[in-house]
Amino acid sequence: MRSARFFAVTVGLSLLARAATFDELAAQAAQARRGNQIPEAIELYRQAVQLRATWIEGWWFLGTLSYATYKYGDCESAFDQFVKLDGKRALAWSLLGLCEFETGKYDPALDHLRTGLAGKDLAPEVEAGVRFHYGLLLTRAGLFDQGNRELNRYAQGGAHEPMLIAGLGLSALRQPLLPKDVPAERMDAVMKAGAAERSLVLGEIETAATGFQELVKEYPAMAGVHYLYGTYLSYTRPEEAIPEFRRELELNPDNAEADAMLALLLLRVKDPAGALAYAKKAAEAKAADALAEYAYGEVLLGTGELRPAIARLEAAARLDPAALQYHTALATAYSRAGRHEDALRERRAAMELAGVPGRESGAQNARSGGADSPENR
Amino acid sequence: MTAGYVRTVLYLALAAAAQAAPKTVTCANCHRAEAQSQPKTGMGIGIEMSPHQEVLERHPKQTLDKNGYHYDVENKNGVSTYTVSDASGALTLPIRYAFGYRNFTFVLEYQGRFYESLVSYYEPIAGLATTMGDERIHPHNLTEAMGRETPEPEVTPCFGCHASGAVSQGKLTLATMKPGLTCEHCHAGAEAHMLAISAGKTAPSPRKLGEMAAEEMSNFCGECHRTWESVVTMRLFGEKNVRFQPYRLANSQCFLGDDKRIRCTACHDPHVELVHDDASYDRACLACHGVTQKTCTVSNKNCVSCHMPKVQAPLNPTVFTDHNIRVVHAGDPYPQ
Repeated sequence: MRSARFFAVTVGLSLLARAATFDELAAQAAQARRGNQIPEAIELYRQAVQLRATWIEGWWFLGTLSYATYKYGDCESAFDQFVKLDGKRALAWSLLGLCEFETGKYDPALDHLRTGLAGKDLAPEVEAGVRFHYGLLLTRAGLFDQGNRELNRYAQGGAHEPMLIAGLGLSALRQPLLPKDVPAERMDAVMKAGAAERSLVLGEIETAATGFQELVKEYPAMAGVHYLYGTYLSYTRPEEAIPEFRRELELNPDNAEADAMLALLLLRVKDPAGALAYAKKAAEAKAADALAEYAYGEVLLGTGELRPAIARLEAAARLDPAALQYHTALATAYSRAGRHEDALRERRAAMELAGVPGRESGAQNARSGGADSPENR
Repeated sequence: MTAGYVRTVLYLALAAAAQAAPKTVTCANCHRAEAQSQPKTGMGIGIEMSPHQEVLERHPKQTLDKNGYHYDVENKNGVSTYTVSDASGALTLPIRYAFGYRNFTFVLEYQGRFYESLVSYYEPIAGLATTMGDERIHPHNLTEAMGRETPEPEVTPCFGCHASGAVSQGKLTLATMKPGLTCEHCHAGAEAHMLAISAGKTAPSPRKLGEMAAEEMSNFCGECHRTWESVVTMRLFGEKNVRFQPYRLANSQCFLGDDKRIRCTACHDPHVELVHDDASYDRACLACHGVTQKTCTVSNKNCVSCHMPKVQAPLNPTVFTDHNIRVVHAGDPYPQ
C-alpha cells in the first residue's frame, strides 16, 4: 500500500513536472491572463521566462501585469530584460522608466523615459503620462526649462492634480526636487507658483498675473520667486522684468540663469554692453547650461561676432535639443554667416519643433496662378 | 554819434546776432530727397490722427452688419466716430487713432482702456470688414462688439511700430507720440548726430543700414514686420503669415542671409511709397538670375507675377504679395 502510494505520488510529480514545460506554462499564463487571474498569470509568466529567458512576449506580459498590480520592482526587472532583447519598443523603455521612477532609481529612469519618448510611437494618452514623469525627473536633475516644458505640455491637456501643480512650481522656482521631497515650509510657495504657472499655460492671464504678484508679495526673499516673476514679465514688459532678475541675483548670486535672462533682456532693450557682461558671467558660472549658452550666443550674435555666437548656440541646441528658440537663433546665425545649408537644416528643425501643421488647401489662393498655370504659359 | 555810426553798430549787432543764432538743422539739410518723400509713405504716416483722417473724410459714412451688430463709421466736420449698436442700444466712440495706410484699424479708448476695433476699413472693398485676426471673435455685448481689449503690453508695440516717440523704457508715452516713423526710428542716433551738427560739433553718424546683408536686415525690418524667428516661435503658420514678409522671404530657396541682393532694400526703398509695378522688381531678380543663378526659361520680365503670387489673407479682403519666392506649380499648397 505504501509502495502504491509512493508510486502514485511519483507519477503525479512527474506529471506535474511535465506540465511545467515551457509551452504548457506559456499557454497556462496566457489563459490566466485572459481570465483576468492576474497573480496566477504573473507567477506562470515568471516560471516560463525562467525556462526560456529569450521569450520576449513573456517578459512583456510579466512587465505589464506587474506594473498594473503596482509591483514596480518586478516590472522593472521584466522590462530590463525586455529591452535587452528588443531595444526598439518605445513603450517598453517608457514602462521601464516609469517603474524605475516608482522604485526610486531616478537617474536611469530619466534616461529610459527619454529613450521612450524619442521613439515617437507612443499612444497619446501614454505619452502624456510619460512626459509628466519625465518633466518631474528633468526638474529634479536641475534641467528646469526642459522639465517645465514637459510639464506645461501635460498641463495643457487640462490636468490639475497636486503632483502636477507641485512639479510646475518646482520647475518654475528652479528647485531640483521631486514633489514628494519638498520641505513642508516651502510647499505653499511651490503650490502657489505651480498654480500661477498652470494658469499662464492655459491662457488665464489675469489669474496668472495675480498669482505671480501674490507669490512675490508673500515670499519676497525666497530663491527663485523673483526669477519666476521676471520670466513672466519678460514676455510683455521687459523693462519691468529687469529689476526682478537683479533682485533674484541679490538673493541668489549663483543663479546663472538669472544672469542669462538678464543678458537677454538687456539685449532686447538695446544695452549690448550690459548684456555681454551678464551673458559672460552666466556662461562662466554654469558650464554646460543651455540657457547660459543661448544667452551668450544671442548677445554675441547681436554684436556681430558670428563665429563664437554660432559655437554657443550650437552648444545650447545640443544641450536642449527640444528648445525651439535655440534652433531659430541658430538658423539666423548660420544664415548671417552664409552657411546656407546649415541654416536651412535649422529652419526645418525649428519648424518641426513648432509643429508646422500639414498641407493646407491654399493652392487655389495663389491668385495670379503660378509659373505653370495656364495664364502664365 | 552820426547816423552812419548808428547804422554800423546796428549792422554789426545784427550780424553778430545772426551768427550766434543756432542754425536750424534737420535731416533734410543733407538728406533732402529722403526727408521729403518718406513722410508721405505708409510708414511715414503710420497712424491717421484726428482731425486729419483723409480716408475717413473721403468715405464719410460706412456701415457694416456683422454678428448681429450694426457698425457705423462716420466723419462729420472732420470728426470721426465709431458706433456699434444692437437692439439693446448703441456705443459711440471718437476715432482718435486710425492705424494704417489705405487699410485702417481703429484703436479706441473706452473707460480708460484701449480696444482694437472689431471692424476695420479696407481699401480693396472701400468699406468695412472684420479686423484681420479677429474673425473668430463672437461678441456677447456691445463692448465686445466694439473691439477687442488690448492691454498696454499689447498696444504698446502697436504704437511703437506705427509712431515715433510713443514708447519710452517700454512704457507708452502718448504725450510725445508723433504718428509715423521719423528718421530716428530706423536710424538710431540720427537726432544726436543732427543736434551735434547744429551746435557746430562733429558727431558720429548713425549706423549705415546699407551695410546690412539680407538676414540682418530682415531681422531689423522684422522688428515691426515680424522676423522669421518670431513667426516660428509664435507658431503663426498658414496663410495668415503671408503678411509677415521677412518670414516668407527667409523661407525662399534663393534667400541667402549674407547676400545684399536679396535683402529688403534690394527691392524696396523705405523712403518712397511702395511700387506696385511688377516689372520694376525685375532688376532685383536679374541681379542674380542670369548672373550667378540659373535663368528662368519662361520669361525675364515680370518675374514676381509668377514667382511671388498674390495671396488673399484668410477671411479678409486684403491681398498680399507672398514673399516666399519660388517656382509655383498650379495646385501646390501654400508653403507654411
